Amino acid sequence: MVLDFFDKVGTGVLKGVDTTGDFAVLAGRTFVAIFARPFDGKNLLRQFQAVGVNSLPVVLLTSLAVSMVFAVQLAFGFKQFQAEGLASQVEGLAVMRELAPVITGLMLAGRVGSAMAAELGTMQVTEQIDALECLATDPIHYLFVPRLLASMLMVPLLTLISVYIGFWGGYLILVGVEGQSAVVFSSEFYKLLAFRDLRIALYKALVFGMIIALVGCWKGYRTQGGAEGVGNAPTSSVVTSSLWILVSDFFLTKLLLV
Amino acid sequence: MPVIDVVDLSKAFGTKVVLAKVNLQVEEGESLVVLGGSGSGKTVLLRTIMGLLTPDSGQVSIEGKIIAELNREELSNIRKSIGMCFQMAALFDSMTVFENVAFALRRHTKMTEAEVAARVDECLSMVGMKDTDKLKPAELSGGMKRRVGFARAIALKPKILLFDEPTTGLDPVMTDVIGRIILDLKQELGVTSITITHDLKSAFMIADRIALLFQGECLACETPEVFKVNPNPVIQQFLRGDAEGPFLQDPPAPKRKAKEASA
Ligand SMILES: Nc1ncnc2c1ncn2[C@@H]1O[C@H](COP(=O)(O)OP(=O)(O)O)[C@@H](O)[C@H]1O
Ligand SMILES: [Mg+2]
Repeated sequence: MVLDFFDKVGTGVLKGVDTTGDFAVLAGRTFVAIFARPFDGKNLLRQFQAVGVNSLPVVLLTSLAVSMVFAVQLAFGFKQFQAEGLASQVEGLAVMRELAPVITGLMLAGRVGSAMAAELGTMQVTEQIDALECLATDPIHYLFVPRLLASMLMVPLLTLISVYIGFWGGYLILVGVEGQSAVVFSSEFYKLLAFRDLRIALYKALVFGMIIALVGCWKGYRTQGGAEGVGNAPTSSVVTSSLWILVSDFFLTKLLLV
Repeated sequence: MPVIDVVDLSKAFGTKVVLAKVNLQVEEGESLVVLGGSGSGKTVLLRTIMGLLTPDSGQVSIEGKIIAELNREELSNIRKSIGMCFQMAALFDSMTVFENVAFALRRHTKMTEAEVAARVDECLSMVGMKDTDKLKPAELSGGMKRRVGFARAIALKPKILLFDEPTTGLDPVMTDVIGRIILDLKQELGVTSITITHDLKSAFMIADRIALLFQGECLACETPEVFKVNPNPVIQQFLRGDAEGPFLQDPPAPKRKAKEASA
């Protein structure tokens, strides 16, 4: 009974170590392969399109919605202390430091990471990845690298856009609905922010971009078991990368704010 | 020295032993056909030769280099001289036929686009698939996919070709067409090849030597004439295509035989 329990725990731990090690090795190989030849510009551009351009509408809409609802809550909250003026400052802080990078990261994990897992998973079970190997092409270099580069560039860019949209979301509520002065809002929004905050937001976005691409590609690459496996890969990639985005957000915040 | 040298190759998945001490030698320019029932490990053999699977024991060497001991770059260089044709073709489905065949040319040669186009055209006409270059793999039939897979495999002018069940699931006419294409490729390119099949007609058509894989072992590896008269009951049963005999461990009950007897 007790031995059985330890057996199960032991197997679980070993499996966890195995999985983590596998991910670490593949991630390491991806970073090394960034510098390998040949450079495939067309492939990279296609990923920029898929990761960046095609995600714009989703990021716009979610950023707007989240910043608006947050502004509503802030206005309501600060009204209790007759401190409505603080709402715009806190809105700025929240959007820049947390909402923009996290919302962008989570949305892209759902939109882009899952697509990577599904695509690579299908390629894996239809032997297309083996075919790549047989054509003397490293799948890590050909498939992982462009996706990683696209995510590392596009998630920070989309985060910037999200901050900008967040400003207008707050503006709509606090100026449009709550009737604060537009001029005051525009200066208050950035009042608590320093250049450091922009840097923090971009660092976070960069890390989230890596997580999204690496987890998505890894889950796809390690797909096995036909249609069912291909079905599980995107789900599992979204859950894993969302989890890591939120966990790493905590540690990055702790680390970067000191 | 044989071009492809498989020595005491063993491979198991979990407790299931798929290959047990397989020995095969293929000389330069020779065409070896490997026969074997479904699930006898034919694909595993080819994948191990290609370095997609690592052997549990024993080794595969190609032109004297042991595959399992190469680093990525050396392996990749060896693979440039091998063309592999997958059982289900494994074409890149996001690319057109042209892009599939041009893939290795664009990545591994310094050819201009015009030269690439000329070579792709050449390869496609060698397999009788001219004028399909703009189609996507999804628009092709099984036999057409296989042939595009051949074209992709020969694009870099490999010295070795590996075919995994090139004729399985095709009609008899297309089977013959594919058999002829393999013969043509052999004559035109002078390649060393291993072809896996369980189609006896095409096997005897293209083989210089025939091997039979049975329960993880290589039963025979000899010229078609000798193979035909090999007294081994497993080989004779495989050649007859009979359910009765040592080939299956538990053959299905002979329903029809009983009916004939009573008639
Ligand atoms: N990746 C794998 N994992 C587990 N078992 C495998 C794997 N690949 C092949 N096998 C097993 O090896 C045996 C031989 O498979 P294969 O070589 O594909 O047969 P075939 O001779 O029909 O090509 C099968 O029983 C199959 O179950
Ligand atoms: Mg097979």
